Amino acid sequence: MQLKKKASTSIGASLAAATAGLLGQSPGRAIAQELAPWEYDTAILYYSESDSRVQDFSLNLNARKEVREERFLNLKLAIDTLTGASPSGAVPASSVQTFTTPSGGSSFNIAPGQQVLDPSFLDTRTAINANYEFPLARLTLLNVGISTSDEYDYTHTGVNMKLAHDFNDRNTTLSFGLAFANDSIDPVGGAPIGLAPMTAVGGNKLGDQSKDVTDILLGVTQVLNRHSLVQFNVSLSTADGYQTDPYKILSVVDPVTGDPVSAPPLNGLPFLYLYEQRPATRDKQSIYGLYKRDIGGDVFDISYRYMTDDWDVDSHTIDMHYRWNFASGSYLQPHLRFYSQTAAGFYHTVLFDGAPLPDFASADYRLSEFDGITLGIKFGRPTERGEMSGRLEFYQQTGSASPGSQVGSLQSFDLNPGLEAIVAQFSYKFGR
Amino acid sequence: MASPCELHLGGIGRRKAEGILETVHAEAMRIETKFSRYREGNIVDRINRADGYYIAVDDETARLLDYAAELWSLSDGRFDITSGVLRRAWTFDGSDKLPDPDQVERLLAHVGWQRVDWERPTLALQPGMEIDFGGIGKEYAVDRAAELVRGDVESCLINFGGDLLALGPPPAGDDGSAGWTVGIESLAGGTAAKRIALTEGALATSGDAHRFLLRGGHRYGHILDARTGWPVDNAPRSVTVLASTCTEAGMLATLAMLMGAEAEAFLEGQGARFWCLR
Repeated sequence: MQLKKKASTSIGASLAAATAGLLGQSPGRAIAQELAPWEYDTAILYYSESDSRVQDFSLNLNARKEVREERFLNLKLAIDTLTGASPSGAVPASSVQTFTTPSGGSSFNIAPGQQVLDPSFLDTRTAINANYEFPLARLTLLNVGISTSDEYDYTHTGVNMKLAHDFNDRNTTLSFGLAFANDSIDPVGGAPIGLAPMTAVGGNKLGDQSKDVTDILLGVTQVLNRHSLVQFNVSLSTADGYQTDPYKILSVVDPVTGDPVSAPPLNGLPFLYLYEQRPATRDKQSIYGLYKRDIGGDVFDISYRYMTDDWDVDSHTIDMHYRWNFASGSYLQPHLRFYSQTAAGFYHTVLFDGAPLPDFASADYRLSEFDGITLGIKFGRPTERGEMSGRLEFYQQTGSASPGSQVGSLQSFDLNPGLEAIVAQFSYKFGR
Repeated sequence: MASPCELHLGGIGRRKAEGILETVHAEAMRIETKFSRYREGNIVDRINRADGYYIAVDDETARLLDYAAELWSLSDGRFDITSGVLRRAWTFDGSDKLPDPDQVERLLAHVGWQRVDWERPTLALQPGMEIDFGGIGKEYAVDRAAELVRGDVESCLINFGGDLLALGPPPAGDDGSAGWTVGIESLAGGTAAKRIALTEGALATSGDAHRFLLRGGHRYGHILDARTGWPVDNAPRSVTVLASTCTEAGMLATLAMLMGAEAEAFLEGQGARFWCLR
């Protein structure tokens, strides 16, 4: 083993010198790093609505591994802890109102003129996704996945697939996506009978519920030139089953005074509130367009989405980002988003005493007519093996009550007060 | 080169890319044609058929011969471009068919750089001897091709059958990756045992993942020690080395293989970045 006995660095030096002689060039640089078997993308997110409404503290972990050449396994874990109060759907009144908690176990009072928030809102949600992406042919990628999530009153299980095929010198990609989900809902205290009165002891409840959701997506992405691309998607979604929010109610008010009407005898609550009821089917269609371009090393994108459904909700979304890249590899990315939707046909801010009861009714502000604006900024900088970034966003929503609901005493209250929220997120990618 | 060759380019237009592809392809073909031992009439063929006579060689061939002589010296005779005749005894097909030791011994009489009369610009082999640049040629071709296009492109990866060289990183993607992702094939095949992001410089691999004999539980890898005519014992199954040139990376990997059980210690001694699979 003389080779080892020789000052081993002299072999390396002699080899380098001999190689330089062979190639007639002086040695250059060699830069490489070993990649970790897994790449991780982690984030903590804090979402907070104004006036002590919903707060969400969320942990996200995404792990990705190239298990074989061009075959990727993607695992995702998300844990959300929701606390705070959410609007129950009932409107403010000039007198003290009393409500029953969903479990029926206790009640709470709302002072005159105050927005009715259900304070017992607390939930932890755990979601897991697993996806596997692999080439079916040289230009065709298939991605299949399963998803499940669990919270104390809601369980989701789903399967999804997406097929993408490149052609036209890989300048055009056609995509087809399909997803099925089955959700089971086991509301605290049982699912209420739709449009039945809320009672002090938590009556008028049924057992577990479920719904099935099918989503289909058809998309095309086209590279326009070296600096820009466009994408168009058409998607269809159909949901069948229990889509009512078991914790939402509607106030029944006098059509002239606007005051809440008294509950029937033995109900146990002073005023009458009805549980909401939504249709069992919902069909949505949406179109989406994205334009993305490079502007001198920066990246600008703008997208528009139009969604319409058979609940009469039509929405428009415009979303814009500008990624401002610095020479250091850091970037600053402002974000602006506008959202506007019409109210569902069965959205009623209040129900009027004496009027015929509709088949479906909900006072959920998420089904009302409203506009939202999001303003955000993200800063990211590269680390040795990945990237860290921080994001701060501000959201403001302004809503409208259903026409004709502002009668009598209700004129002095904001029946759809909207909301403000902030999002703060810190992300850390590593393992590259 | 008897193996898939590929070229990745970024940040330039189609016309320029086609020009670079043509340059790289032409250089690979030139080296293949000039130095392949399978081609009749080229310089290697003329040397191998000279039957003891002197052959005058051109400058490029002379530099390769000087380089081979230096490697022979540095490896104390383990690496030898005259060892190709041993292939007549060895067929690494995964079977248990070991050669007859007498046949190996007879062939060894025709192996050994010390028997070669090399004095620039003339070379003479003893009758029955052959030279073969197979252990150097592929890596040399990568470096030669890279040298021709260096300066014309900022984002380029040349891959000749798993020996590769990067001239700058790939165009920045959405994932912000810093280098060309190169997988080192696992021993089982198909999967990447390690993944390396290569930005600048070369990676070359020496290995016997698919070329070996197995007898009585002993594995005979295809790296032959030119001094004994037998496979090196306890060599790693695969050695990948990072260096500024593909030739240097390849030769370090080959020398490490020839060190058998000492491969890792040898590479560590050189201060080389390397990945060994056993």
